[in-house]
Amino acid sequence: MIGIVDYGLGNLVSVAAAVARLGFEATVSAEAEVLWDCDKIILPGVGAFGDGMRNLEERELVAPLTRMVKDDGKPILGICLGSQLISRASDEFGLCQGLGWVDAHCQRLAPDEPGLRVPHVGWNDLIQVRDDPLFQNIPEDALFYYVHSYFVKPEDSDLVVGECDYGGRMASVLRRENICATQFHPEKSQRHGLTLLRNFLDSA
Amino acid sequence: MLRKRLITVLTFNEGVLFRTKLFTPDYRYTANFVDAWSIDEIVVLDITRDRRGKEERFAEVVSGFASRCFVPLAAGGGIRSVADVRRYLGYGADKVVVNTGALERPELITEVATLFGSQCVVASIDAKRTDDGHYDVHAACGTHATGRDAVAWAQEAEERGAGEVLITAMDRDGHLQGYDLDLCRRVADAVSVPVLILGGAGNWNHFLAGFVEGDASAVCTQNIYHFTEKSISSAKKFLIEAGVPVRL
Repeated sequence: MIGIVDYGLGNLVSVAAAVARLGFEATVSAEAEVLWDCDKIILPGVGAFGDGMRNLEERELVAPLTRMVKDDGKPILGICLGSQLISRASDEFGLCQGLGWVDAHCQRLAPDEPGLRVPHVGWNDLIQVRDDPLFQNIPEDALFYYVHSYFVKPEDSDLVVGECDYGGRMASVLRRENICATQFHPEKSQRHGLTLLRNFLDSA
Repeated sequence: MLRKRLITVLTFNEGVLFRTKLFTPDYRYTANFVDAWSIDEIVVLDITRDRRGKEERFAEVVSGFASRCFVPLAAGGGIRSVADVRRYLGYGADKVVVNTGALERPELITEVATLFGSQCVVASIDAKRTDDGHYDVHAACGTHATGRDAVAWAQEAEERGAGEVLITAMDRDGHLQGYDLDLCRRVADAVSVPVLILGGAGNWNHFLAGFVEGDASAVCTQNIYHFTEKSISSAKKFLIEAGVPVRL
Protein backbone atom coordinates (compact mmCIF):
# COMPACT_ATOMS: atom_id res chain seq x y z
CA MET A 1 0.00 0.00 0.00
CA ILE A 2 1.24 3.45 -0.96
CA GLY A 3 0.40 6.26 1.42
CA ILE A 4 -0.22 9.69 -0.12
CA VAL A 5 -0.04 12.33 2.58
CA ASP A 6 -3.10 14.57 2.57
CA TYR A 7 -2.27 17.79 4.33
CA GLY A 8 -4.76 19.96 2.54
CA LEU A 9 -2.39 21.21 -0.17
CA GLY A 10 -1.72 19.80 -3.51
CA ASN A 11 -2.80 17.80 -6.43
CA LEU A 12 -3.65 14.61 -4.57
CA VAL A 13 -6.04 13.46 -7.28
CA SER A 14 -3.30 13.56 -9.92
CA VAL A 15 -0.82 11.69 -7.75
CA ALA A 16 -3.38 9.06 -6.81
CA ALA A 17 -4.39 8.68 -10.47
CA ALA A 18 -0.79 8.15 -11.54
CA VAL A 19 -0.14 5.57 -8.81
CA ALA A 20 -3.35 3.75 -9.75
CA ARG A 21 -2.40 3.81 -13.42
CA LEU A 22 0.85 2.04 -12.49
CA GLY A 23 -1.15 -0.69 -10.83
CA PHE A 24 -0.41 0.09 -7.21
CA GLU A 25 -2.92 0.49 -4.44
CA ALA A 26 -2.84 3.85 -2.76
CA THR A 27 -4.53 5.50 0.14
CA VAL A 28 -4.81 9.26 0.51
CA SER A 29 -4.70 10.00 4.21
CA ALA A 30 -4.00 12.58 6.87
CA GLU A 31 -3.92 9.92 9.62
CA ALA A 32 -0.53 8.94 11.00
CA GLU A 33 -1.84 5.45 11.90
CA VAL A 34 -2.91 4.82 8.31
CA LEU A 35 0.41 6.06 6.92
CA TRP A 36 2.35 3.85 9.37
CA ASP A 37 0.77 0.81 7.70
CA CYS A 38 1.91 1.87 4.23
CA ASP A 39 5.03 0.46 2.58
CA LYS A 40 5.96 3.76 0.99
CA ILE A 41 4.98 7.35 1.40
CA ILE A 42 4.48 10.10 -1.16
CA LEU A 43 4.52 13.67 0.14
CA PRO A 44 3.02 15.70 -2.69
CA GLY A 45 2.08 19.31 -2.51
CA VAL A 46 1.85 22.62 -4.22
CA GLY A 47 1.53 25.97 -2.57
CA ALA A 48 3.36 27.90 0.08
CA PHE A 49 6.01 26.42 2.37
CA GLY A 50 4.64 28.02 5.54
CA ASP A 51 1.12 26.74 4.88
CA GLY A 52 2.52 23.30 4.17
CA MET A 53 4.33 23.10 7.51
CA ARG A 54 1.39 24.60 9.39
CA ASN A 55 -0.99 22.07 7.86
CA LEU A 56 1.34 19.16 8.69
CA GLU A 57 1.55 20.43 12.27
CA GLU A 58 -2.20 20.91 12.59
CA ARG A 59 -2.72 17.34 11.47
CA GLU A 60 -0.05 16.20 13.96
CA LEU A 61 1.94 14.60 11.17
CA VAL A 62 5.38 16.15 11.67
CA ALA A 63 6.60 13.87 14.46
CA PRO A 64 5.07 10.63 13.12
CA LEU A 65 6.34 11.24 9.58
CA THR A 66 9.79 12.05 10.91
CA ARG A 67 9.82 8.77 12.89
CA MET A 68 8.63 6.78 9.88
CA VAL A 69 11.28 8.26 7.64
CA LYS A 70 14.26 8.85 9.91
CA ASP A 71 13.92 5.98 12.43
CA ASP A 72 11.94 3.40 10.53
CA GLY A 73 13.54 3.99 7.15
CA LYS A 74 10.27 4.04 5.25
CA PRO A 75 10.88 5.09 1.62
CA ILE A 76 9.45 8.52 0.90
CA LEU A 77 9.14 10.57 -2.26
CA GLY A 78 8.60 14.30 -1.87
CA ILE A 79 7.15 16.06 -4.90
CA CYS A 80 7.43 19.80 -5.60
CA LEU A 81 6.50 21.51 -2.32
CA GLY A 82 6.94 18.10 -0.70
CA SER A 83 10.54 18.12 -1.93
CA GLN A 84 11.11 21.49 -0.31
CA LEU A 85 9.44 20.65 3.01
CA ILE A 86 12.06 17.99 3.77
CA SER A 87 14.74 20.69 4.00
CA ARG A 88 15.65 22.61 7.14
CA ALA A 89 14.04 25.90 6.23
CA SER A 90 12.77 28.20 3.51
CA ASP A 91 12.98 31.91 2.87
CA GLU A 92 9.40 31.93 1.56
CA PHE A 93 7.38 34.71 3.26
CA GLY A 94 9.98 35.10 5.99
CA LEU A 95 12.03 32.25 7.35
CA CYS A 96 10.04 29.04 7.89
CA GLN A 97 11.34 25.91 9.55
CA GLY A 98 10.93 22.72 7.52
CA LEU A 99 10.94 19.03 8.38
CA GLY A 100 14.74 19.11 8.47
CA TRP A 101 15.32 15.63 7.07
CA VAL A 102 18.08 16.84 4.74
CA ASP A 103 20.67 19.61 5.00
CA ALA A 104 19.18 22.09 2.61
CA HIS A 105 17.57 25.47 2.48
CA CYS A 106 14.91 26.76 0.07
CA GLN A 107 15.50 30.01 -1.75
CA ARG A 108 13.55 32.07 -4.23
CA LEU A 109 14.45 31.55 -7.88
CA ALA A 110 16.49 34.40 -9.27
CA PRO A 111 17.44 33.26 -12.77
CA ASP A 112 20.61 34.96 -13.87
CA GLU A 113 19.52 35.54 -17.45
CA PRO A 114 17.24 38.15 -18.96
CA GLY A 115 13.83 36.99 -20.12
CA LEU A 116 13.53 34.10 -17.68
CA ARG A 117 10.29 34.39 -15.79
CA VAL A 118 9.33 33.39 -12.27
CA PRO A 119 7.58 31.08 -11.54
CA HIS A 120 9.54 28.55 -13.56
CA VAL A 121 6.66 26.85 -15.37
CA GLY A 122 6.91 24.21 -18.01
CA TRP A 123 9.00 21.35 -19.33
CA ASN A 124 12.68 21.32 -18.51
CA ASP A 125 15.51 18.81 -18.37
CA LEU A 126 16.50 16.35 -15.74
CA ILE A 127 20.28 16.33 -15.80
CA GLN A 128 21.30 13.07 -14.18
CA VAL A 129 24.41 14.07 -12.23
CA ARG A 130 24.58 10.77 -10.30
CA ASP A 131 23.18 7.30 -10.82
CA ASP A 132 20.03 6.66 -8.92
CA PRO A 133 17.48 3.86 -8.97
CA LEU A 134 14.87 6.51 -9.79
CA PHE A 135 16.54 7.09 -13.16
CA GLN A 136 16.26 3.54 -14.45
CA ASN A 137 15.00 3.63 -18.06
CA ILE A 138 14.87 7.42 -18.05
CA PRO A 139 16.69 8.72 -21.14
CA GLU A 140 19.13 11.59 -20.80
CA ASP A 141 16.91 13.84 -22.90
CA ALA A 142 13.71 13.20 -20.95
CA LEU A 143 11.80 16.32 -19.93
CA PHE A 144 9.75 16.89 -16.82
CA TYR A 145 7.13 19.41 -15.79
CA TYR A 146 8.24 22.02 -13.28
CA VAL A 147 6.18 24.70 -11.62
CA HIS A 148 7.79 26.56 -8.73
CA SER A 149 9.13 29.88 -7.51
CA TYR A 150 11.50 28.47 -4.87
CA PHE A 151 14.12 25.78 -5.14
CA VAL A 152 16.08 23.56 -2.76
CA LYS A 153 19.70 24.49 -2.21
CA PRO A 154 21.49 21.64 -0.43
CA GLU A 155 24.38 22.33 1.89
CA ASP A 156 25.76 18.93 1.00
CA SER A 157 26.13 18.50 -2.76
CA ASP A 158 26.13 14.69 -2.30
CA LEU A 159 22.38 15.01 -1.88
CA VAL A 160 21.89 16.11 -5.46
CA VAL A 161 21.33 13.34 -7.99
CA GLY A 162 19.48 15.42 -10.59
CA GLU A 163 19.62 19.02 -11.70
CA CYS A 164 18.00 21.36 -14.16
CA ASP A 165 19.13 24.60 -15.74
CA TYR A 166 17.08 27.76 -15.44
CA GLY A 167 19.47 30.68 -15.58
CA GLY A 168 21.93 28.52 -13.65
CA ARG A 169 21.98 24.97 -12.39
CA MET A 170 19.75 23.96 -9.53
CA ALA A 171 18.93 20.75 -7.75
CA SER A 172 15.88 18.97 -9.11
CA VAL A 173 16.21 15.49 -7.60
CA LEU A 174 17.54 14.78 -4.12
CA ARG A 175 18.45 11.46 -2.54
CA ARG A 176 19.52 10.52 0.96
CA GLU A 177 19.09 6.81 1.62
CA ASN A 178 15.33 6.17 1.85
CA ILE A 179 14.47 9.82 1.22
CA CYS A 180 14.08 11.05 -2.33
CA ALA A 181 12.50 14.15 -3.73
CA THR A 182 11.75 15.73 -7.09
CA GLN A 183 11.15 19.41 -7.69
CA PHE A 184 9.24 18.55 -10.86
CA HIS A 185 5.94 16.70 -10.98
CA PRO A 186 6.44 13.11 -12.16
CA GLU A 187 2.68 12.61 -12.07
CA LYS A 188 2.35 15.39 -14.66
CA SER A 189 5.31 14.43 -16.81
CA GLN A 190 3.72 11.76 -18.97
CA ARG A 191 5.62 8.60 -19.79
CA HIS A 192 8.96 9.56 -18.26
CA GLY A 193 7.25 10.85 -15.16
CA LEU A 194 5.32 7.62 -14.81
CA THR A 195 8.55 5.64 -15.30
CA LEU A 196 10.24 7.58 -12.52
CA LEU A 197 7.26 7.08 -10.28
CA ARG A 198 7.26 3.37 -11.05
CA ASN A 199 10.96 3.21 -10.17
CA PHE A 200 10.14 4.63 -6.76
CA LEU A 201 7.15 2.33 -6.25
CA ASP A 202 9.12 -0.75 -7.40
CA SER A 203 12.17 -0.02 -5.26
CA ALA A 204 12.85 -2.32 -2.35
CA MET B 1 16.59 24.92 -20.66
CA LEU B 2 12.90 25.60 -20.29
CA ARG B 3 10.89 24.62 -23.36
CA LYS B 4 8.13 26.68 -24.91
CA ARG B 5 4.73 25.13 -24.42
CA LEU B 6 1.86 24.17 -26.72
CA ILE B 7 -1.41 24.12 -24.85
CA THR B 8 -4.77 22.85 -26.01
CA VAL B 9 -7.79 24.73 -24.74
CA LEU B 10 -11.03 22.81 -24.88
CA THR B 11 -14.40 24.43 -24.31
CA PHE B 12 -17.36 22.47 -23.01
CA ASN B 13 -20.99 23.42 -23.20
CA GLU B 14 -23.04 21.32 -20.78
CA GLY B 15 -20.28 18.75 -20.75
CA VAL B 16 -20.06 18.49 -24.53
CA LEU B 17 -16.98 19.55 -26.45
CA PHE B 18 -17.64 22.54 -28.69
CA ARG B 19 -15.42 24.71 -30.76
CA THR B 20 -16.06 28.42 -30.50
CA LYS B 21 -16.07 31.31 -32.91
CA LEU B 22 -16.04 34.84 -31.55
CA PHE B 23 -16.84 33.39 -28.14
CA THR B 24 -19.98 31.57 -29.20
CA PRO B 25 -20.30 27.79 -29.22
CA ASP B 26 -19.99 27.19 -32.91
CA TYR B 27 -19.72 23.54 -33.66
CA ARG B 28 -20.13 20.42 -31.63
CA TYR B 29 -17.38 17.85 -31.77
CA THR B 30 -18.11 14.23 -31.37
CA ALA B 31 -14.55 13.04 -30.90
CA ASN B 32 -11.71 14.09 -28.69
CA PHE B 33 -8.81 15.26 -30.80
CA VAL B 34 -6.33 15.80 -28.03
CA ASP B 35 -3.06 14.14 -28.88
CA ALA B 36 -2.38 13.12 -25.32
CA TRP B 37 1.30 12.26 -25.75
CA SER B 38 2.40 15.38 -27.56
CA ILE B 39 0.50 18.18 -25.89
CA ASP B 40 2.27 19.97 -23.06
CA GLU B 41 -0.73 21.04 -21.10
CA ILE B 42 -4.52 21.00 -21.27
CA VAL B 43 -6.98 23.71 -20.33
CA VAL B 44 -10.66 22.83 -20.05
CA LEU B 45 -13.23 25.57 -19.80
CA ASP B 46 -16.90 25.28 -18.96
CA ILE B 47 -18.77 27.72 -21.18
CA THR B 48 -22.24 26.60 -20.12
CA ARG B 49 -24.37 29.74 -19.81
CA ASP B 50 -26.57 28.52 -16.99
CA ARG B 51 -24.72 25.98 -14.89
CA ARG B 52 -27.36 25.35 -12.24
CA GLY B 53 -27.92 21.66 -11.89
CA LYS B 54 -25.36 20.90 -14.61
CA GLU B 55 -22.16 21.05 -12.56
CA GLU B 56 -21.80 17.29 -12.68
CA ARG B 57 -21.34 17.27 -16.45
CA PHE B 58 -18.24 19.42 -16.37
CA ALA B 59 -16.99 17.62 -13.26
CA GLU B 60 -16.96 14.43 -15.29
CA VAL B 61 -15.01 16.14 -18.06
CA VAL B 62 -12.32 17.36 -15.65
CA SER B 63 -11.97 14.10 -13.77
CA GLY B 64 -11.88 12.19 -17.05
CA PHE B 65 -8.89 14.19 -18.25
CA ALA B 66 -7.24 14.08 -14.83
CA SER B 67 -7.31 10.31 -14.70
CA ARG B 68 -6.17 9.74 -18.30
CA CYS B 69 -3.77 12.52 -19.29
CA PHE B 70 -0.70 12.84 -17.12
CA VAL B 71 0.00 16.43 -18.10
CA PRO B 72 -0.86 19.61 -16.25
CA LEU B 73 -4.56 20.28 -16.32
CA ALA B 74 -6.14 23.67 -15.76
CA ALA B 75 -9.88 24.10 -15.39
CA GLY B 76 -12.06 27.15 -15.43
CA GLY B 77 -15.47 28.58 -16.08
CA GLY B 78 -17.59 30.38 -13.52
CA ILE B 79 -15.07 30.41 -10.68
CA ARG B 80 -16.13 33.03 -8.14
CA SER B 81 -14.96 31.72 -4.78
CA VAL B 82 -12.38 29.63 -3.01
CA ALA B 83 -15.10 26.99 -2.66
CA ASP B 84 -15.36 26.82 -6.46
CA VAL B 85 -11.58 26.43 -6.71
CA ARG B 86 -11.57 23.65 -4.14
CA ARG B 87 -14.29 21.90 -6.14
CA TYR B 88 -12.30 22.10 -9.38
CA LEU B 89 -9.12 20.91 -7.70
CA GLY B 90 -11.13 18.07 -6.21
CA TYR B 91 -12.11 16.97 -9.71
CA GLY B 92 -8.40 16.68 -10.43
CA ALA B 93 -7.38 20.03 -11.90
CA ASP B 94 -3.87 21.24 -11.06
CA LYS B 95 -4.67 24.87 -11.59
CA VAL B 96 -7.70 27.01 -12.12
CA VAL B 97 -8.47 29.67 -14.69
CA VAL B 98 -10.19 32.73 -13.28
CA ASN B 99 -11.73 35.42 -15.41
CA THR B 100 -15.04 37.15 -14.71
CA GLY B 101 -14.95 36.21 -11.01
CA ALA B 102 -11.65 38.05 -10.63
CA LEU B 103 -12.95 41.08 -12.50
CA GLU B 104 -15.94 41.25 -10.21
CA ARG B 105 -13.84 40.73 -7.12
CA PRO B 106 -10.08 41.04 -7.73
CA GLU B 107 -9.31 39.75 -4.20
CA LEU B 108 -10.34 36.34 -5.48
CA ILE B 109 -6.90 36.00 -7.11
CA THR B 110 -5.14 36.74 -3.82
CA GLU B 111 -7.38 34.38 -1.87
CA VAL B 112 -6.64 31.50 -4.23
CA ALA B 113 -2.92 32.28 -4.45
CA THR B 114 -2.60 32.48 -0.69
CA LEU B 115 -4.34 29.17 -0.14
CA PHE B 116 -3.10 27.12 -3.06
CA GLY B 117 -0.07 29.03 -4.33
CA SER B 118 0.41 31.35 -7.28
CA GLN B 119 1.12 28.42 -9.60
CA CYS B 120 -2.50 27.41 -9.09
CA VAL B 121 -3.98 30.62 -10.52
CA VAL B 122 -4.13 31.43 -14.21
CA ALA B 123 -5.61 34.87 -14.81
CA SER B 124 -7.53 34.74 -18.06
CA ILE B 125 -8.09 38.02 -19.85
CA ASP B 126 -10.42 38.46 -22.82
CA ALA B 127 -9.38 41.59 -24.63
CA LYS B 128 -10.76 43.56 -27.53
CA ARG B 129 -8.82 46.25 -29.34
CA THR B 130 -10.33 49.72 -29.14
CA ASP B 131 -10.20 52.42 -31.80
CA ASP B 132 -7.49 54.28 -29.90
CA GLY B 133 -5.20 51.23 -29.93
CA HIS B 134 -5.80 50.04 -26.39
CA TYR B 135 -7.21 46.72 -25.32
CA ASP B 136 -10.40 46.68 -23.32
CA VAL B 137 -11.03 43.75 -20.98
CA HIS B 138 -14.35 41.99 -21.43
CA ALA B 139 -16.15 39.90 -18.83
CA ALA B 140 -18.80 37.19 -18.90
CA CYS B 141 -17.55 35.26 -21.95
CA GLY B 142 -16.77 38.47 -23.75
CA THR B 143 -20.27 39.87 -23.52
CA HIS B 144 -19.58 42.78 -21.23
CA ALA B 145 -16.96 45.52 -21.64
CA THR B 146 -15.37 46.45 -18.33
CA GLY B 147 -13.49 49.59 -19.32
CA ARG B 148 -10.33 48.10 -17.81
CA ASP B 149 -7.11 48.19 -19.78
CA ALA B 150 -5.85 44.68 -20.52
CA VAL B 151 -2.19 45.44 -19.82
CA ALA B 152 -2.97 47.17 -16.53
CA TRP B 153 -5.26 44.34 -15.51
CA ALA B 154 -2.58 41.76 -16.30
CA GLN B 155 -0.18 43.67 -14.05
CA GLU B 156 -2.73 43.87 -11.28
CA ALA B 157 -3.45 40.15 -11.60
CA GLU B 158 0.25 39.42 -11.23
CA GLU B 159 0.53 41.68 -8.20
CA ARG B 160 -2.45 39.94 -6.66
CA GLY B 161 -0.77 36.58 -7.05
CA ALA B 162 -1.59 35.11 -10.45
CA GLY B 163 1.12 32.69 -11.56
CA GLU B 164 0.34 32.89 -15.28
CA VAL B 165 -1.65 35.14 -17.57
CA LEU B 166 -3.77 33.72 -20.39
CA ILE B 167 -4.55 36.44 -22.86
CA THR B 168 -7.19 36.02 -25.53
CA ALA B 169 -7.75 38.36 -28.44
CA MET B 170 -11.50 38.15 -28.79
CA ASP B 171 -11.64 39.35 -32.38
CA ARG B 172 -9.36 36.51 -33.40
CA ASP B 173 -11.28 33.65 -31.81
CA GLY B 174 -12.07 31.02 -34.40
CA HIS B 175 -10.65 32.93 -37.34
CA LEU B 176 -7.34 31.12 -37.83
CA GLN B 177 -5.66 34.34 -39.00
CA GLY B 178 -2.93 34.43 -36.37
CA TYR B 179 -2.50 35.68 -32.82
CA ASP B 180 -2.69 39.33 -31.86
CA LEU B 181 1.08 39.69 -31.42
CA ASP B 182 0.92 43.31 -30.38
CA LEU B 183 -1.38 42.44 -27.51
CA CYS B 184 0.79 39.50 -26.48
CA ARG B 185 4.01 41.50 -26.56
CA ARG B 186 2.52 44.35 -24.54
CA VAL B 187 1.33 42.00 -21.83
CA ALA B 188 4.55 39.94 -21.84
CA ASP B 189 6.60 43.13 -21.46
CA ALA B 190 4.42 44.30 -18.59
CA VAL B 191 4.47 41.19 -16.38
CA SER B 192 7.19 38.82 -15.23
CA VAL B 193 5.01 35.70 -14.98
CA PRO B 194 4.56 33.46 -18.04
CA VAL B 195 2.11 34.69 -20.67
CA LEU B 196 -0.08 32.28 -22.61
CA ILE B 197 -1.63 33.52 -25.84
CA LEU B 198 -4.92 32.29 -27.28
CA GLY B 199 -7.08 33.15 -30.22
CA GLY B 200 -6.40 32.97 -33.92
CA ALA B 201 -3.78 30.30 -34.55
CA GLY B 202 -4.28 28.80 -37.99
CA ASN B 203 -0.91 27.39 -38.90
CA TRP B 204 2.48 26.58 -37.46
CA ASN B 205 3.93 29.95 -38.47
CA HIS B 206 1.44 31.57 -36.12
CA PHE B 207 2.92 29.55 -33.25
CA LEU B 208 6.39 30.67 -34.22
CA ALA B 209 5.30 34.32 -34.34
CA GLY B 210 3.61 33.95 -30.95
CA PHE B 211 6.89 32.85 -29.40
CA VAL B 212 9.27 35.08 -31.30
CA GLU B 213 7.29 38.28 -31.87
CA GLY B 214 4.78 37.92 -29.06
CA ASP B 215 7.28 36.65 -26.46
CA ALA B 216 4.69 34.13 -25.29
CA SER B 217 5.73 31.33 -22.94
CA ALA B 218 3.00 29.18 -24.38
CA VAL B 219 0.78 29.24 -27.43
CA CYS B 220 -2.74 27.95 -27.03
CA THR B 221 -5.05 26.51 -29.60
CA GLN B 222 -8.70 25.64 -29.59
CA ASN B 223 -9.58 24.90 -33.14
CA ILE B 224 -6.55 24.37 -35.29
CA TYR B 225 -6.16 20.62 -34.86
CA HIS B 226 -9.67 20.14 -36.03
CA PHE B 227 -8.89 21.64 -39.41
CA THR B 228 -5.71 19.89 -40.20
CA GLU B 229 -4.52 16.39 -40.70
CA LYS B 230 -1.31 17.38 -39.03
CA SER B 231 -0.59 16.60 -35.45
CA ILE B 232 0.85 18.49 -32.55
CA SER B 233 4.10 16.62 -32.96
CA SER B 234 4.44 17.90 -36.52
CA ALA B 235 3.94 21.43 -35.20
CA LYS B 236 6.71 20.80 -32.70
CA LYS B 237 9.09 19.50 -35.34
CA PHE B 238 8.43 22.65 -37.35
CA LEU B 239 9.18 24.83 -34.32
CA ILE B 240 12.41 23.01 -33.50
CA GLU B 241 13.61 23.48 -37.07
CA ALA B 242 12.76 27.17 -36.70
CA GLY B 243 14.89 27.35 -33.56
CA VAL B 244 12.19 27.37 -30.87
CA PRO B 245 12.89 24.89 -28.07
CA VAL B 246 9.85 22.70 -27.50
CA ARG B 247 9.33 19.25 -26.07
CA LEU B 248 8.99 16.56 -28.73
